Amino acid sequence: MIKLDRRLIINFDWTLLVLVLIISGIGLLNIYSAGFSLSDLRQTPLFLKQVQWIAIGIAGMAIAFFVDYRTFSRHAYLIYGISIALLVIVLAAGYSTRGSQRWIALGGFTFQPSELIKLAIILALAKYFDRHQIGRNYRLRELFIPALIVLIPFLLILKQPDLGTGLILIILFFSIVFFVGLEWRSFLLAAAGGLILTPLGWHLLKDYQKERIMTFFSPERDPLGSGYHIIQSMIAVGSGGFFGKGFMKGSQTQLKFLPEQQTDFVFSVFAEEWGFLGGVILMVMFLLLIVWGLKIVFHSKDYLGALIAFGITMLIFWEVFINIGMVLGILPVVGIPLPFLSYGGSSMVVLMTSIGLLMNISVRRFILQS
Amino acid sequence: MQKIRNRLNEYEPGQLRQRFKIAVIVVSVALALLVLRMWHLQVIKGEELRQRSENNSVRLRKIKPMRGLIMDSERRVLVDNQPSFDLVFIPNRARDIGNVIEKIKALYAERSLALPPILSFPGRLKPFVPVLLERNISREKLAVVETHAFDLPGVVVEVTPIRKYLNGEMTAQLIGFTGEVSREDLERDMSGRYAAGDITGKFGIEKFLDSHLRGRSGAEQVEVNVAGKTVRSLGKIPATTGDNVVLTIDSALQETAWKALGDRAGALVALDPRSGDVLALVSSPSFNPNLFNGGISFDDWESLSNDPRHPMENRSISGQYPPASTYKSVIAAAALEEGLITPETSFFCNGAFELGDRKFRCWQEKGHGHVKLHRALVESCDVYFYNLGKMLGVDRIAFYARAFGLGAPLGVDLSREKGGLIPTKQWKLDRLKEPWQMGETLSISIGQGFNLVTPLQLANIYAALANGGTFYRPRLVKQLESSDGRVVKEYGPEKQAALPVRPENIRIINRALWGAVNERGGTGYALKRKGEDVAGKTGTAQVVGLPQDEKGRKTKRVSAAFRDHALFACFAPYANPEIAVAVILENAGHGGTAAAPVARKVIDAYFAGKKTDQPPAKFVKVGSREKLEP
Repeated sequence: MIKLDRRLIINFDWTLLVLVLIISGIGLLNIYSAGFSLSDLRQTPLFLKQVQWIAIGIAGMAIAFFVDYRTFSRHAYLIYGISIALLVIVLAAGYSTRGSQRWIALGGFTFQPSELIKLAIILALAKYFDRHQIGRNYRLRELFIPALIVLIPFLLILKQPDLGTGLILIILFFSIVFFVGLEWRSFLLAAAGGLILTPLGWHLLKDYQKERIMTFFSPERDPLGSGYHIIQSMIAVGSGGFFGKGFMKGSQTQLKFLPEQQTDFVFSVFAEEWGFLGGVILMVMFLLLIVWGLKIVFHSKDYLGALIAFGITMLIFWEVFINIGMVLGILPVVGIPLPFLSYGGSSMVVLMTSIGLLMNISVRRFILQS
Repeated sequence: MQKIRNRLNEYEPGQLRQRFKIAVIVVSVALALLVLRMWHLQVIKGEELRQRSENNSVRLRKIKPMRGLIMDSERRVLVDNQPSFDLVFIPNRARDIGNVIEKIKALYAERSLALPPILSFPGRLKPFVPVLLERNISREKLAVVETHAFDLPGVVVEVTPIRKYLNGEMTAQLIGFTGEVSREDLERDMSGRYAAGDITGKFGIEKFLDSHLRGRSGAEQVEVNVAGKTVRSLGKIPATTGDNVVLTIDSALQETAWKALGDRAGALVALDPRSGDVLALVSSPSFNPNLFNGGISFDDWESLSNDPRHPMENRSISGQYPPASTYKSVIAAAALEEGLITPETSFFCNGAFELGDRKFRCWQEKGHGHVKLHRALVESCDVYFYNLGKMLGVDRIAFYARAFGLGAPLGVDLSREKGGLIPTKQWKLDRLKEPWQMGETLSISIGQGFNLVTPLQLANIYAALANGGTFYRPRLVKQLESSDGRVVKEYGPEKQAALPVRPENIRIINRALWGAVNERGGTGYALKRKGEDVAGKTGTAQVVGLPQDEKGRKTKRVSAAFRDHALFACFAPYANPEIAVAVILENAGHGGTAAAPVARKVIDAYFAGKKTDQPPAKFVKVGSREKLEP
C-alpha cells in the first residue's frame, strides 16, 4: 500500500518538523517545572508521561505522513462517524472530572474524543467542499450539510459540557467557510441571525459557564471562584517581568497558586519563568508555524490538500490565540489547551497527527500530477 | 511511482490570493495583540505584579470539613471527632531539616517521650511543600514543641480533625474507619468532589455513607507572604460539616452481644422483625479502628491484614456458613406449602436413611421412631428431613430458599455483603460440570452440603417467620441529620417481599420452633426460661465432610479447626415477636450448648432494657401440642 517514494525524503518539510519539535521541547521543559511541585515521589512525573505522549504523537505523525492524504480523505466520513460514536460513548459511559464528562478509558490511558473530532471535522468538511465546488461563493442554504457536520458534534460536546471545544468547532467552521467563500448577502444574514440567537444560546449555557463569561468582564466579582483563575494567572504572567524568574523559580507556580497550571493555564507558568522575552520567542515560533502552514496551503497541488491544510493551520492558530488570550485575561476562561504545551495525551497525539498531514500535503505537491 | 486513484482537483491559488492576505493579516494581528498584552502585563505592570506575587500573594486555602457524627438508635454517640495536632516542617523557612529533626529528637529524649516510629521525610525537599513529621502528637509533645518554637525554625503545628471511635472493637466492622483518599479513588471519582488529601470513609458505615458524612470543603482566600505564611484573610466560604447519621443499632445490645461472643470467632445479628431494623451486628474477632486515625502504621496494617483469624472481615454480612439444622424451618415450610405433607404426616426414623447402598445418619443414632413435623423440628430429626428433601427435590428447595432471601445479598447498608449459596441442578452442572446427585439433595435438606448463608440472612429468615411472613430490607440507618439537628432524610421500613407460605403454615412452624426451646426434648431446651418465651432452632454445621457414618457427636475428637460451627436462630417473645437473633460461632461445637447461650444473653439484655412484661404464650404450652399431635 505504502511505497516508500524517494521523493518523500528529498522534499521532506524539515522546517515544519523542526518548528514543532522546538515548540514541544519548550512545552516539555515547562511541564517539568509546572508538574514538579505536584508530582509525588511515588507517581510518574507528568513530564515523563508527556514524553510518552509525544512519542505516540510522532508515531501518529509518521502514519499521517506516509499514507497519501487522499486516502485519508476517502475515509473522511468514516473517521467522522467513528469520532461521533466515541463522543456518544463518552456521554453514555465516560469518565468525568470536575463535573464534566470528557474522557473514556482505553486500557490504562484515558482518551478524549473531543480532541479527535477536531481533525475529523476538518477532514469531513474538506472532503465535502472539494466534492461540491460550485465555482462561486456559497449561499447560506448550500451550507446546510457542512453546518450539520459541525452541529452534531458541537451539541454532543456542549452536553459534556465542554464550552471551549464547542467554540473551537464553530470557529473552525467559520474559518473554512471563509476560505471557500461566502456570499456577502448570506454573510450579513448569518451575522444578523447570530446576533438574534446569542441571548437564546446564553440560556443553554451551564451556570459555571455563564459565571466564567461574567467574571471575564469583571474578575474581581468573584475572587474566590472563577475570577481566581484570571487574577492568579495575570499575576503569574506579570510577575515574570521582562526576563522572567528563571526555570523552576516561579513562585506562583511552585506555590501552586494556579489550579490546572499544567493543562489549560500552562502558559502562565512559562510566562512567569521566562518573562516577556520567552513569551515573544514562543509567539514567534507559533507565528512561524502558522505562516508556514498557510504557505503549504498556498502551494498545495490540489483543492482538497489546500482545504485540509487550511483547516489544520487555523485549528492551531485559534487554539493558540484563545488559550493565551485567556491566560492573559483578554478572553474568557474556556477550556482550550495550548497546542504542544499543555499536558494532555489526546490533544498532543491529535495535533502531531495533524502536523503529519500538513507534511504529507507539503511533500506531495512534488509528487502528485494532474 | 504512486498510483493516483483520485482525480486531482487542480486549483488556482491566485483566485484565493485575497483570502491568504486576510488570513496572514488576521493571524499576525492576533499574535501581535497577545504580545502587546504581554508587554502590558510583564513590562508596564510587571513591577507591580511582581510585588504582588512576592510580598503578598493571594492564595486559596482549602478548609477541611468536619465529618458527621454517628449515633445509635438511642442517640448515643458512637463516633466523634477530635483534633489531631500534626507536626509539620515547611522547607523554605529553614533549609536543614536533618538538624531540626535531631533537635526534636533531643527534646523528646530529655523528657523521655517516645520517639515516633518514623520521623521521616522525603530525600529531596521541595521548597514550598510542607513535610509531615509526626501525626497526632501527644499533649506533652505539643507543649515541648510550642515552648521551643524558637529553636525549631520551619516547624509548625497544624490542627486537623480526626475520628474517634468510642466503642472501638465492638463496632469496628460495622462502623468502619476513614483514611486519606487513594489515587484509585480519585481516578474513579465520578462526582468530582474528591481532591487529593481529602479524608474519606474506607470501610463500613464510614464508607457506605461517606457522601453524607464527609461534608463539603470550604475555602479561604488569604494573603500570604513569600514564606507562605498567612498575612490576612480576604474572604471565606466556611466548610459545611457532614450530616450526622443515626443508626438502628442499640449499642447496649451490641455490647452485650460482643461480650457474649468473647474471644471466639463468630457473628451475631439481631433484627427487629416488625421493621427490619438491625439492632445489633457483631463480628468477632475484631480490630481497633482508632489505629487508622490519621494513617495506620505499616506494622499495624501488616499484622491486621495477615491475621489468620481475619479480624477485618465483617462475618455478620460476609461470613458464609452452612445453615445446618436452622435450615429445616425452610424445608418444612416448602413441604407444607407444596402440600407434600401435613402436620400429621409421619416418617419412621431408625437412626438412618438408606439411599441405595449409602446410609444417611440421623444425629440421634438410636433413632426417633415415628416422627411428625412438630417433633421433627423440636428434636431436629434428620431422617424426617431427608424424606422431605427427597420429595421436594433440589430445585424446589432452591425456589423456597430464594423466597426466604437466601442466595443473594439482602441489600443492607454496607458494602461487601455476600449472598451465600443456594445450589440448583443447573448451578452444579455449570460450576462443577457434574450432574446433581440425590445424596446431595439429602445433605442440603438438613442444611449441609453446598448451602451457604450469612448470619444476616439467617436472622432475616427468623424475623420473617416471626412477623408472619413479611420480608423487610435489613435497615441500618434510621435517619440523617444536619449538624444543627435538622432531619435531612428519614428511612422507613422497606417491605421487600412476602414469603410464599400461608400464615397457617408459618404458625405451624413457629409453634414447633417454640417447642424446640420450651418442650422437654427440644434441642434448645437449655434456653428455656420462665417468663420469656423464645422460639428458635439450633444448628450444628459440619466444617469438613466427615464420612457419613462418623458424623455427629464424634466431633469432639476432631482438632479445633475442623470442629463444627455452632448456630442458633430465634425470635422472642413468641406471641408478639420484637427481636430475632442469629448467632454463629465458628468451631465451637454444638448449637444448643455453644450458640444458644449467646443468643440468650442478648435476648435477656433486650427485655431487661425494654422492661416489657409480655405474658408468656401459655396457650401453646399444652394446647398446640395436643392439637398438633392428637
